[in-house]
Amino acid sequence: MQIDGSVNTGNLPLAGCRVIERSRSVAAAYAGRLLAVMGAEVTMLEPPGGSPLRQTAPLLPDGESALFAYLSVGKRSQVCDPSTEAGRKELASALEQADIFIDDTPVKDRASFGVDPASLGDRHPNLVHLSVLPFGSVGPKAHWEGEEVNLIHAGGEGFLLPNGLTHELFPDRPPLKIYGYFGSFQGGAMAALGAMAAWWAVPASGGQYVDIAVQDAVLAVGCFALQRLGDGSLEHRSTRSFRYGGVFETRTGYIELLTLEDRQWASLVELLGQPDWSQDPALKDPLERSRRGAEINQHIREWMAQNEADDVVQRAQKLGVPVGKYRQPEEVINGEQERARKLFAPATLCNGATAQMLVAPFQFHVTPLQGGGKVPAIGEHGGILS
Amino acid sequence: MTISSAPLAGIRIADFTIHAAGPFCTHLLSQLGAECIKIESSTRPDAFRKPHAVYGRMTAATFDQVSANKLSIRLNLKKPEAIALAKRLVSISDIAAESFRPGVIKRLGLDFDALREVKRDIVMLSLSSCGQTGPDSSFAGYAPLFGAWGGLGAMSGYSDGPPVEMRHVMDHSAGLHAALATLAALNQRRRTGQAQYVDLAAREVASAMIGDALVVASQGLAPERPGNADPGMAPHGVYASAQPDRWLTLAVRNDAEWAALLQVLGVSDDDPRFRSMQGRIQHRAALDAQVQTWLATRDADQTAEQLQRAGVCAHVSWNMEDIASDPHLRERETVVPVSGPGIPERLAVGAPAKFSHTQDVGIRRLTPALGQDEDYVFGELLQLSSTQRRDLEAREVIC
Repeated sequence: MQIDGSVNTGNLPLAGCRVIERSRSVAAAYAGRLLAVMGAEVTMLEPPGGSPLRQTAPLLPDGESALFAYLSVGKRSQVCDPSTEAGRKELASALEQADIFIDDTPVKDRASFGVDPASLGDRHPNLVHLSVLPFGSVGPKAHWEGEEVNLIHAGGEGFLLPNGLTHELFPDRPPLKIYGYFGSFQGGAMAALGAMAAWWAVPASGGQYVDIAVQDAVLAVGCFALQRLGDGSLEHRSTRSFRYGGVFETRTGYIELLTLEDRQWASLVELLGQPDWSQDPALKDPLERSRRGAEINQHIREWMAQNEADDVVQRAQKLGVPVGKYRQPEEVINGEQERARKLFAPATLCNGATAQMLVAPFQFHVTPLQGGGKVPAIGEHGGILS
Repeated sequence: MTISSAPLAGIRIADFTIHAAGPFCTHLLSQLGAECIKIESSTRPDAFRKPHAVYGRMTAATFDQVSANKLSIRLNLKKPEAIALAKRLVSISDIAAESFRPGVIKRLGLDFDALREVKRDIVMLSLSSCGQTGPDSSFAGYAPLFGAWGGLGAMSGYSDGPPVEMRHVMDHSAGLHAALATLAALNQRRRTGQAQYVDLAAREVASAMIGDALVVASQGLAPERPGNADPGMAPHGVYASAQPDRWLTLAVRNDAEWAALLQVLGVSDDDPRFRSMQGRIQHRAALDAQVQTWLATRDADQTAEQLQRAGVCAHVSWNMEDIASDPHLRERETVVPVSGPGIPERLAVGAPAKFSHTQDVGIRRLTPALGQDEDYVFGELLQLSSTQRRDLEAREVIC
């Protein structure tokens, strides 16, 4: 950390990469966040009232958005309104110096804002113009709007949740989305990947336009369900459960147990204390175990209910049985593993408070990421021409 | 074998990854044009080559998305000569990727330090459950455990129910994040000429998915599990329609969209509680019941179209048949037909990003047969003669 609180990015993977970000969506902002933590200089161009993400839940008691803080830490903020002539000049000036432009302007507004791909490409031949929209910028639904709940269902994963114990308990309830912005984060990560690939290709091909759809990204990470369709199986949340294993309640919380290999099953039997029911020779056959999954799960549930989660996890992992505890956020922040790996770093919120902020879900051993930094106030780094 | 005009044309990957998360990473890079050489052996083939009772698959998969685009060679990594050949392959590669349990790759003699000796600027990726360091690094796990450890499982679920199990999307999200980090390292190598070691823990990807909740928790507050609700929008959720198991997702962001919703549904709402967003959020349960009543007699697909035309965020909860038949996804080549010898035409997920200048992005070849590309890899790239290869096969180095 430097004296002014900014992060020294000199030796980080993306040092020297200059990114201009116009984001109103989580996906576009997450793309910028990923690039920023890896060392790119990411400047948000916010509208005069600030990014709408600054008001997006979850909010801290003083009204500051925890989501915006997470997405914007380490970035710079300037105010720019491309709906005005002056704003468009400012934007064009900013893009003169940029390597990557993250842009989630709706397709219908792009020409009037001066960000249509063709003219941007002409003016900035080495610029990677990264479009991030709910349904992409090409195709019959390019103009469709979508929030997270729409997009995770448009990409197919929403229909398949919840599975396992939750569906067993509440079979008649509507499908259930994953917490927060899982689908949008996939869109942002895919956008960062696309940007990295296009930036790599600049010496050979020059800059170019990269079109990312959150729907596409959700489907990409859910590709196994499409593969299953090709195999003849239409997946459904009611049948996507593991035949045995899954979520179990212990005396001190929930755990996840999954044994896919024979040796793991043998170790599970050992963990359970070699109970009589497990000694049935027929259960050595994985297909027979699948057929009798409900019966097996009932036995496991009874055993789990007598035990404590942390103890089960420790004993199981020593035996090579894949078991993990369903941890609450405060357990993650205070986890020994997370502390050992320095997953969190202190960051300064707009309100001046310090938060433990997740650095990044990857590490670079040769040039470790630093994380931390500041969440910028609106226009903290001025207007572009000022 | 180089893909001339894809963004990653000329990049070669020595791919030791197995199962889902790691192979998805290298699959993405291969779709972007990298040449990906998958290393297995007949004694330890990857999971898709075996029956999978959990999924009711009693034979090897004929198509495996995450193996598509890859070349296949056999190397029995229990043999020192196979390790030497693996190093020779790494020495002419840009990226080496693995997803064994931490410690295995070092025992094999193929860890970062060893590979850097044969390729001074190698970019190496290790993808694992819990990362290469820390007290839990040896823990075994699959996608549902990543979600459990990372906090995503506990934050997902009905407010009165148990946590929710994450499935393949969790594996593949880990692979996606690994791919972008690996490419960042590759860009760094171009600038510095230095090697890099990328260490990705899948459980940390799950934690990244609740990064906002972790900020809340770090302030001493308890983040709420919202289920299908959104703290800032109402109505917001998943509603039953006139057709069984045909659900409509809806997100109303402001009063104008609320008015548009009422107009599309042809209803007037005189309930003063629902006139402002604040009121609708405050009375969310009553609002959801009212909206559900309105939608219960409507066609989900038609209503979604009508709402989108009116500027309201709506979409049907799609199953894979819906996705397979969607003209939008077909036009974008996100869903593409693929076929090959012995593989009738089927659908796969195509290019992860659309590029205006660099073409040839996407699926170019299907799941490789074990060892099908050894003439190219062992013969052309490593310059092994037929006699040498036969000898190595006889001694089960190549097998």
